[in-house]
Amino acid sequence: MTADQYLLEIKNLSITYHAVHPPVKAVDGVSLQLRKGESLGIIGESGCGKSTLALGIMGLIKQGIVEGEIIYKGQNLVGLPEKRLRNYRWKDMAMVFQNSLEVLNPVLSIGEQIGEPLRAHYNLSPMEIDQKVVKLLEMAGLEPEWRHYYPHQLSGGMRQRVLLAMALSCDPELLIVDEPTTSLDPASKNEVLQLLQKLQKKLGFAMILISHDLGAVKKLTSRVMTLYCGRVVESGITSEVLKNPMHCYTRGLLNSSPNFFRYKDLWGIGGEPPLGGSIEGCAFYPRCCQGEESCSQTRPPLRYVALERMVACHKGGIETFLRAEGIRKKYILKDREIEAVKGVSLEIKSGEVVALVGESGSGKSTLAHILAGVLPAGAGQVFFKNKKVEGRWATKMLGGMQIIFQDPFSATSHRMKVLEVVREPLDIIKWGSKEEREAEAIKALQKVQLPVSPEFLNRYCYALSGGQRQRLAIARALVTKPKLLIADEVTSMLDPSTQANLLRELKGLQNRHGFAMLYITHDLHLARKIADKVYVMYRGEIVEAGVSFEIFENPEHVYTKRLLREAFRDLV
Amino acid sequence: MEYLFTIWILVTLNFLLPRAMPGDPFLYMSADEGQEVARFSEEQRQYYLEYYGLDRPVAGQYLSYMSDLLRGNLGYSLYYNEPVSTIILRRLPWTTFLVIAAVLLSTVFGTILGSISAWYREKWPDKFLFFCLILLSEVPAFLLGLVLLFTFAAGLGLFPLSGAITHFANYSSWWERLFDILHHAFLPVMALTIARLGGMYLLSRNSMTTVLEKDYLRTAWAKGLPKKRIIFRHALRNAMLPIVTRVFLSLGSLVGGAILVENVFAYPGLGHLMREAVMVHDYPLVQGIFLVVTICVLLANFLADLVYKKLDPRISDYSGIHGG
Ligand SMILES: Nc1ncnc2c1ncn2[C@@H]1O[C@H](COP(=O)(O)OP(=O)(O)O)[C@@H](O)[C@H]1O
Ligand code: SF4
Ligand SMILES: [Mg+2]
Repeated sequence: MTADQYLLEIKNLSITYHAVHPPVKAVDGVSLQLRKGESLGIIGESGCGKSTLALGIMGLIKQGIVEGEIIYKGQNLVGLPEKRLRNYRWKDMAMVFQNSLEVLNPVLSIGEQIGEPLRAHYNLSPMEIDQKVVKLLEMAGLEPEWRHYYPHQLSGGMRQRVLLAMALSCDPELLIVDEPTTSLDPASKNEVLQLLQKLQKKLGFAMILISHDLGAVKKLTSRVMTLYCGRVVESGITSEVLKNPMHCYTRGLLNSSPNFFRYKDLWGIGGEPPLGGSIEGCAFYPRCCQGEESCSQTRPPLRYVALERMVACHKGGIETFLRAEGIRKKYILKDREIEAVKGVSLEIKSGEVVALVGESGSGKSTLAHILAGVLPAGAGQVFFKNKKVEGRWATKMLGGMQIIFQDPFSATSHRMKVLEVVREPLDIIKWGSKEEREAEAIKALQKVQLPVSPEFLNRYCYALSGGQRQRLAIARALVTKPKLLIADEVTSMLDPSTQANLLRELKGLQNRHGFAMLYITHDLHLARKIADKVYVMYRGEIVEAGVSFEIFENPEHVYTKRLLREAFRDLV
Repeated sequence: MEYLFTIWILVTLNFLLPRAMPGDPFLYMSADEGQEVARFSEEQRQYYLEYYGLDRPVAGQYLSYMSDLLRGNLGYSLYYNEPVSTIILRRLPWTTFLVIAAVLLSTVFGTILGSISAWYREKWPDKFLFFCLILLSEVPAFLLGLVLLFTFAAGLGLFPLSGAITHFANYSSWWERLFDILHHAFLPVMALTIARLGGMYLLSRNSMTTVLEKDYLRTAWAKGLPKKRIIFRHALRNAMLPIVTRVFLSLGSLVGGAILVENVFAYPGLGHLMREAVMVHDYPLVQGIFLVVTICVLLANFLADLVYKKLDPRISDYSGIHGG
């Protein structure tokens, strides 16, 4: 594959706005390639530099320094004088600007604004231009009469169509589309997307689609790039990336996107992108759920982690925290054997909520106990952070694994006091002084919104309500700042309202602190609300596994279908 | 409708104000500049009082005043012994000429300089222009007029000292006459223009700077349009909107400036006439001038609305609010 094959190749492009103090490096070392007719999506939160990148490609950065190379058909456009750039503009590359009232000239008619590039670039008579304008408007799905109107007389959706007609007036080979659907209502949104899709098919232009609307990107592009703080953090095939993001940031974007999860609650990415300036290490470090000190030292390069997939992360993207392979477990009773778990394999990645669903007795709890190392497996292996789990080491450390049992404090601990219960895990690993441990315990109690008055701290566990006891169990688990929390039916004994509250809190904690969670439940409503991935367990086996929206939308296994049917029967 | 109402208010004020002023017109009329002996006898005075209805009750005066106005009769000047309308019509063209010339010149040059400044914002052309024009804009028109008069007319003798035209001159052709008129008008027009230039410059510099940063200008660049088209059709066209508003709205103050400048150059326009009329308490004349000037300014505002609607398509859709 030689460079000439690319329509557009960008090498190490950086754009710094220097008119502001401190200067903002809005695009930071971006490289990309685009072939004729290909479509590339660029996603990222607003302010991550998407528009700047687009304007940079068009050569429209006024108050900034552009470094790197923008090679269009073999010609580097960076540093080219305005006169030469003019030849490329609109004829070769055109742009559908981010929709706003100001993007069209308020005092010129629509027709004039669509037609003027034709006059500037081709030798056409006014008649011919008018005919072309009519055609363009029709192509964009607007009545030709609109050409006599002015921008303020148009609705947002119509303006978007005008912008599109205008961009296509000189038949560009590369079309850059900046946020075509923001500020549109859902109906016009869909229409505009369909129009774009249709026109690309018909006219065959290459397209860069900038959007934080992942649905649009999924629909219209074949490859996608995630931008964070002006840097590319992930790139790959659109459908693959959106199904299985490998960078924590891309996953965060997905989790906050309403297009993908019709039922799941939306959880934005915690924290804010850092402001301006060049960051030494990984820009995502302050918000990353698996970041470590070392991440802030050097900048992670963009590397291949799989076929057609690049990720910029020192850890090669989202880490796998827990991996179980071929887990089996038999219970031997007096007269017979029960095979509770029959060869289960599963994976939990950092910061991920995995729901393990199945009816009672399907072996979920047994599996959970094995995963945590509380119960020895009959066969198979469990790895926590690539280290084999044998015995309880993984639960006896800070930043390890914690399990919250279905029936907390059933036997022994109800004769303990609240503070002692929460402190105990730290006592066991002999962490810090007693005062420090108590301070941590109190912090954990606050996290789960339990009172921390001396009266409460000295209360015995049996004197707590069911909800309080469940919260206490969570606090106890959180006190060691686990990276993975296994929650076994933690809400099933509670009334619906307490259940909902507790679940939201748990998910909120998970979102804030970024730990991974295996959420075991027989309640599909709850699973659907919070899970990223789902494993369906039936009679000791995993019968179906996958991304939660896919499983809930299109279950394949008969058992899953039945479960869903039964669970959601009352909803229809 | 609005305009008619405004005119009625103005006309009424115009009627009331001079009558509230102290002083007796006959005093001046009878002792003109202290030279002549009383021109009017007591009978005559009585006659004129009656003739003008100055002895009747105010309400009656008001009614006849209004009905006269409607017939285009502005009254009779006691001092000039001529119908007011005749006098005003003779003087009006000169002032109109001064004002229009000054408006055109100051707007054109102010816009050009302001646009250059905006284009080279923060670079030396901008800094230089800004400095010069801020200095100029601080000088009032009549002072500028005096300076111009002393240096170019009195000092260098390049221009006539007073008047609008050389008296009793025989012109061999129309353009000779035109040259004479321009020659006379040059300094007053300069005074007015320069005095307004600073304001126009600042306004257009601001307006242009704002427009140059608008998204639609970026769109225009992106489309690869010729620079000329971007500057004139896209930028200037929008930058003109506030400038046009300002031009029309400031006509009133410009007339004020013209009155002072006319007096400096003894230019025979309305301003000069006004001073004379005020000095001698010639009510009908003062009233007439006020009336004509205000109606002119109102007319200009009315015109402004029309022009503005043409320039800014947004205006006709929202109810005529002047936007920047
Ligand atoms: N003209 C400008 N001057 C200074 N900073 C700017 C300018 N335009 C954008 N920025 C900054 O650059 C960053 C990227 O902005 P932008 O490209 O608009 O992001 P996006 O399109 O992804 O929302 C932001 O931090 C923004 O504040
Ligand atoms: S793990 Fe480290 S390098 Fe990777 S995204 Fe998180 S902070 Fe950045
Ligand atoms: Mg943007």
